[in-house]
Amino acid sequence: MAAKAGASPATYSPSPTTYKKNRPPIFTDVDWVRPDGRDFHQCRPAFLRTGAVNAASGSAYAEFGNTKVMVSIFGPRESKKAMIYSDIGRLNCNASDNKEISSQLHKSLEGAIMLDTFPKTTVDVFALVLESGGCDLPVVISCASLALADAGIMMYDLVAAVSVSCLGKNLVIDPVSEEENYQDGGLMITCLPSRNEVTQLTITGEWSTPKIHEAMELCLDACSKLGKIMRSCLKESSSTSQE
Amino acid sequence: MRGMEMSLNQTQKLRLQRALELLETLSSGINSNSSVTVADTIPVNQEDGVLKGHGTTELEGEVVATVCGVIERVNKLVYVRTLRARYKPEVGDIIVGRVIEVAPKRWRLEINFSQDAVLMLSSMNLPDGIQRRRTAVDELNMRSIFEDDDVICAEVRDFMRDGSLQLQARSQKYGKLERGQMLTISPYLIKRRKQHFHHLDQYGIDLILGCNGFIWVGEHVETKDNMIEEEPIKPDPQNNKSKTSMSLEEEEQTYTPLETRQNICRIANAIRVLSTLGFSITIDVILDVVDLSISKGLDIHEMLGAEFSVLVAEREAERRNSSTRRKR
Repeated sequence: MAAKAGASPATYSPSPTTYKKNRPPIFTDVDWVRPDGRDFHQCRPAFLRTGAVNAASGSAYAEFGNTKVMVSIFGPRESKKAMIYSDIGRLNCNASDNKEISSQLHKSLEGAIMLDTFPKTTVDVFALVLESGGCDLPVVISCASLALADAGIMMYDLVAAVSVSCLGKNLVIDPVSEEENYQDGGLMITCLPSRNEVTQLTITGEWSTPKIHEAMELCLDACSKLGKIMRSCLKESSSTSQE
Repeated sequence: MRGMEMSLNQTQKLRLQRALELLETLSSGINSNSSVTVADTIPVNQEDGVLKGHGTTELEGEVVATVCGVIERVNKLVYVRTLRARYKPEVGDIIVGRVIEVAPKRWRLEINFSQDAVLMLSSMNLPDGIQRRRTAVDELNMRSIFEDDDVICAEVRDFMRDGSLQLQARSQKYGKLERGQMLTISPYLIKRRKQHFHHLDQYGIDLILGCNGFIWVGEHVETKDNMIEEEPIKPDPQNNKSKTSMSLEEEEQTYTPLETRQNICRIANAIRVLSTLGFSITIDVILDVVDLSISKGLDIHEMLGAEFSVLVAEREAERRNSSTRRKR
């Protein structure tokens, strides 16, 4: 890629200095006002339902404000690729052919699933973002872990994911698309609330160390609350199906 | 309700709700305290040594659940039973499956399980009925016995090292199933019983309740028992004819009459309604539902409608109510 950039000057190669100049820092003095009127440290109300897809082994539907996501799980089932015997199962994530979201989904889920309980077989996770209203990846991850619990796949714990945006001097939790576009930096944590373990931490953009500490604490707090909401959703769906 | 895709009007919703509530109160008191979700701690008396069963794991000296379900305790064993359990195969289960591949010396069957099951050529009776070693010619003629997409009934012989199943079909009651319908329902709705093969005389229909959630409803076929091994078995010319392609006259003879087809569809729809409502499938319940539909004079396609589902739910609630009252 470096050779290509040097060869033809028409190829676009982003350089850090020009990028900064194009976007003037608007937020150093002014407080950001959230378009949906939330507090900076307030998450959107979550609507979670399991059992949305009948054909799948397990499925879940999540609505966080305008972000609507549906995840369906198939498996454990025979995989064409794993012809050799392997002690552990495989996890295959597909988020409507979006490679980035798929690979991050895979990284966050594989720490929570007990892969050795389904050797030689594969669990397929299919995520579909019906409407993108900001904070897509965390919602997909939380929805996927609900769907896995619905499918009866053995896991160490539910996976709750929350992201935080840094806008100037404000830290905004659970950002909407507008806030994500204007952010100076983003931080996403996926953790296992009951075990207090983190499966994935993603930091992008500009961050100062004290801000990172503050953002991580915010996220972990929100994750534990989200974990409780996910648990109550599962308990509700299991009590209605007990017959 | 999972799978309830029909729209119920207001009165139907109320009636259904009332019937389901009645069933819930009658059910053998499932304690809601014992339901757990993933990573919930399981209350365990630490002094007795506790055996951690399926669905549990240990975390910092505490027993923690790994799936969502209900806690079951048997003496020292503690395990979590999932509500919509996957099929748990056991040796001797009757299975209905579909052939997905013809492989060297075996057939691969799709059963409602995490892996495909294998039916070895040696576990299958040869068409001429002689007990002999399978030769290369037999292997080449495997397709004349079962082809791709055939529905087969077999029995679980044992488990292979990687967890997949090995089947056997060495009796006359197992083998290829023709002239009928195969249904897929959740495996936990079929409990293991003494009899999985049912012959319904009044309809002329064979009903096979596979433990894996596949059910076969088909026209009745007479099974000849040629397991008498003391006499030398002569290659039966009639036997050979049934396996090769049939001529037109024979096809006319094996034509399934319209009434039998209608009965097949009626029974199949009864099973579909029961599985949507989540009731256990047994032969008595199926016959009850079919009688109900005939007594109400419903058309076969109307059985899948909202009204009939509500009727079935009410009927089941009534049935269980009367049976518990009789027990007292």
